[in-house]
Amino acid sequence: MIPSDHFQRFYNEVFKFLESQGEAALEAYWLEISKNQERHTLDLFRQEGFAGMEAYWTQIRHEENCELEIDRDDEKFELRMTKCPSLGKVLDSDAAPMGRYCDHCAGWIGPIMDKLGYHLVYDVIDRKQPQCVMRVFKDAGQAQAAEQDARLLMGWPGKPEVDKKR
Amino acid sequence: MTEDRPLRYHETGNIHLDFHGATNTTIDFIVANYGVAVLHEIFEKVGKDVYADIRAHLIAGDAQELVRHWRHFFERENADFDIAVEGDEIVLTVRRCPAYAHVQKIAPSVSPWFCDQTVKTNEAMAEGSPFEVATEITGPGACRQIIRKRRP
Repeated sequence: MIPSDHFQRFYNEVFKFLESQGEAALEAYWLEISKNQERHTLDLFRQEGFAGMEAYWTQIRHEENCELEIDRDDEKFELRMTKCPSLGKVLDSDAAPMGRYCDHCAGWIGPIMDKLGYHLVYDVIDRKQPQCVMRVFKDAGQAQAAEQDARLLMGWPGKPEVDKKR
Repeated sequence: MTEDRPLRYHETGNIHLDFHGATNTTIDFIVANYGVAVLHEIFEKVGKDVYADIRAHLIAGDAQELVRHWRHFFERENADFDIAVEGDEIVLTVRRCPAYAHVQKIAPSVSPWFCDQTVKTNEAMAEGSPFEVATEITGPGACRQIIRKRRP
């Protein structure tokens, strides 16, 4: 058994292999993970909207030992990760990190938000720092405006780029 | 003494068992798109690179670091297991694998290659060391993992 605590270090090895196969391989995998994650999120987000997102990421904060803050109002859901254990574990590993490890989060979350008609703005800020800001909007115009403030804006399958600093 | 020193990856806090579901999905994705050999190559990297510290202990003739790793993580995930010395062998007997049990609960099916994560990672950790780490699957979500000296 690879312990659940060590999934991220396994994930990192998978990413390194897929990156060697090209961008399409990575995106196909993110989509597969996105489908997997639909089991935990799709109905919840569809039925409860931003409250469902808060419930999901509150549980994630607890189970994954994240340090993150959540805010929401009628227009927007915002998650500010201040200590991401996922990237933290990959950086604290005897195996080399995949340089774009952070991209997977938008890679699986983006397609779910697209499916539900929300507009995701995912700012990784810096791929070497375990922090990020995710905003989800109901209104496309507000999302486009928020993209202007992002420091390292992520894309995902179905939303071609943005700013993938390799 | 080794018992006083933290493991290289000594984890604390809560656990997120759903990661086992993502592992299951990943295994099926890799096999479907690239074949079992690539899956095994990835597990080999996990065994050799991620668990480089355990491997270094095995190469140095110390099997206890792997035993400590087993005990720490199987206890964290509330497995039904025991570890016993049987003659020249150290045997981990897993009667209820928490990874397998959780995937059974949350996924449509457990990948036929799910236990390869254990078999191949064990093999890779032990490669080049005086030990072999063999894995015998004894049932769904049950196995014996055996550390023994390689025969000359």
